[in-house]
Amino acid sequence: MTNGKIFFDETRRILFAAVIALLVALVIILIASKNPLETFQTFIAGPLSSKRTVGNWIDDSAKLALAGLAFSLVFQARQFALGVQGQVYAGGTVAAAIALSPLGLSWVSIPVAAIAAMMAGAFLGFIPGYAKAKLNANEIVSSLMLNYIAYDIANLFLRLYLASPKSGLTASEAFPASAVYPAFIARTRIDLGVVLALGAVAIVWFLLYRTAWGLRLRLTGHNARFAAYSGIRSNFIMVSAMTASGAIGGLLGALFVQGQGFAKIVVGFEGGLSFEGILIAIVARNRPLAIPFVALGYGYLRQGAALMGYRTDVPAEVIGIVQGIVILLVASSFTLPGRAFLNRIMGGSSAARAPST
Amino acid sequence: MNEIFDTILSAAFVAAVIRTTTPVLFASLGGLLSDLVGSLNVALEGMMLIGALTAVIVSAYAPWYVGVLAGLAVGGLLGALMALFHLRFKADVILVGFAVNIIAAGGTVTALNYATGGDKGTSINLPSKAVPSLDLSFLDAIPGIGPVLTQMFSGHSYLTWLAVFLVFAIWYFLYRTPEGLRFRAVGEYPAAAEAAGISPNRLRTYGLVASGALAGLGGAQLAMFNFVGFTRDMTAGRGFIALGAVLLGRRHPVGTAIAAVLFGAFEALSIALPGILPRVPGEVIHTIPFVVTVLALMLSSKRRVTA
Repeated sequence: MTNGKIFFDETRRILFAAVIALLVALVIILIASKNPLETFQTFIAGPLSSKRTVGNWIDDSAKLALAGLAFSLVFQARQFALGVQGQVYAGGTVAAAIALSPLGLSWVSIPVAAIAAMMAGAFLGFIPGYAKAKLNANEIVSSLMLNYIAYDIANLFLRLYLASPKSGLTASEAFPASAVYPAFIARTRIDLGVVLALGAVAIVWFLLYRTAWGLRLRLTGHNARFAAYSGIRSNFIMVSAMTASGAIGGLLGALFVQGQGFAKIVVGFEGGLSFEGILIAIVARNRPLAIPFVALGYGYLRQGAALMGYRTDVPAEVIGIVQGIVILLVASSFTLPGRAFLNRIMGGSSAARAPST
Repeated sequence: MNEIFDTILSAAFVAAVIRTTTPVLFASLGGLLSDLVGSLNVALEGMMLIGALTAVIVSAYAPWYVGVLAGLAVGGLLGALMALFHLRFKADVILVGFAVNIIAAGGTVTALNYATGGDKGTSINLPSKAVPSLDLSFLDAIPGIGPVLTQMFSGHSYLTWLAVFLVFAIWYFLYRTPEGLRFRAVGEYPAAAEAAGISPNRLRTYGLVASGALAGLGGAQLAMFNFVGFTRDMTAGRGFIALGAVLLGRRHPVGTAIAAVLFGAFEALSIALPGILPRVPGEVIHTIPFVVTVLALMLSSKRRVTA
């Protein structure tokens, strides 16, 4: 197959999954809403309704892209480390501590906090990797446990050291302006974070496709045994992939707290976004350069769902159902039988039967 | 320090451990059955959550046992859905499992909102029922230890005793029946099993359906006994801890049950500790079950051959 053909197939596959997912969302809205037409309109057109909502969409997409990037790096090595959420809390807490320290009064705090957040995230990413390489501990369970632990420790740290009494100990004071990412468009959340996310995409692409480490990582993910026979130290690759992924997760934490969206640290600031990186990585097939586009597309749906949650009687959490169905449909066309199935129902008249299974 | 030991050694603590263990035990027995046939079920968390909500909603309109059965059935259906996407459409089982978890997290809030007419957090307005408790106070009649036994073992959910029974039933199935042998054979070396005329995919489907049904029962116990009613994300990682128990239990039902009791004990401890050690921050105490799970996993995995 040529690259063009693959691109066409992939796009068709993604659009198919998106259409099915939207149909499911429409059905749920029809059942659950008293005013389904208006609700669906908010869901579909809401993100474009004002300059502010467009900004929120772009900002969410940047964060989703980073989360997707973190997952794609470990998925490419065929590791199922799911610790991005914990890394975000660790990175955000460290970044907040720096922003609220005397350092926060200078612009230096932005790069320093970003690097410190990445180191915190990398440390959290390293633990499950090391435990798997040395102790053969399943990385899925250990990374998930670390998410819960990191969340609790971040809350403890926030309550004891960062929170302002006025907030009822659930949020810090606003960071000094010098420690907040500058906005490119006034009164929107489009800020330095977008640039950092795009930069991270470029760096990960370069590492994966233009360095020996990236080649080894992709070979390990493709066929670990073959990679080991050809002399690749797959344990080193595995641990370094998880650590690098953790650094991205940590950076995402800094983006959250120092971005225009918060400009302070709040309990639960991550709001479940990290796990949505799984969808981004799966739909982008772990390709860094595809990630920003997938993030923009999904970010739009996410923003629409959020607005639907505020403005109508259908909760924003509907997006979880859409998300899960897209993952099921996109991930299941990985190999030939799935593809044949997709082709069959796309060619035939029974397309409506697929989502009900 | 003595206060901690006094608490742990009390009969009331044993009762608390039994209570906290039951949902995790159901889910980990389910996880064991699917792990044995080669599909690690990371969706236990989501299956428990959906099972819990289904049980609560159904029990508001039907007798309690119908609610429990509904939780079991919806879990089994989710297992069948996973089998369909994993085995028929060749998706990675981890991704399918996570898709189920994501659908569960969003879907339960959406469904709760719909069922309660606008409440996104709890089912407090639904008159959901509880699983009755089994009164064993006749144990009092045993001289000497009778009252202690009563305090430990009386007043638990019917489902707790079902879970204990299932540990032995699953052991018997796996190690004393031909079908159980096939189950273990598929997990051990699928190609050999296939050569012997066993269809691995058929058994994997059974494994996933059974794991979903058991996780659904765990959810029903959680929302109809440990707590009465549903709150969003009420499983709070129990499904993942159950997965840890499967890995820790070395693929054996009794080992899995022991691991589940271990995690249940630390959950009970994290509930009891704030009263004993008020100066230790609640957040730190809250991490105990998760820290214990990750440490146990690291320490126990070293000698394991299978990953």
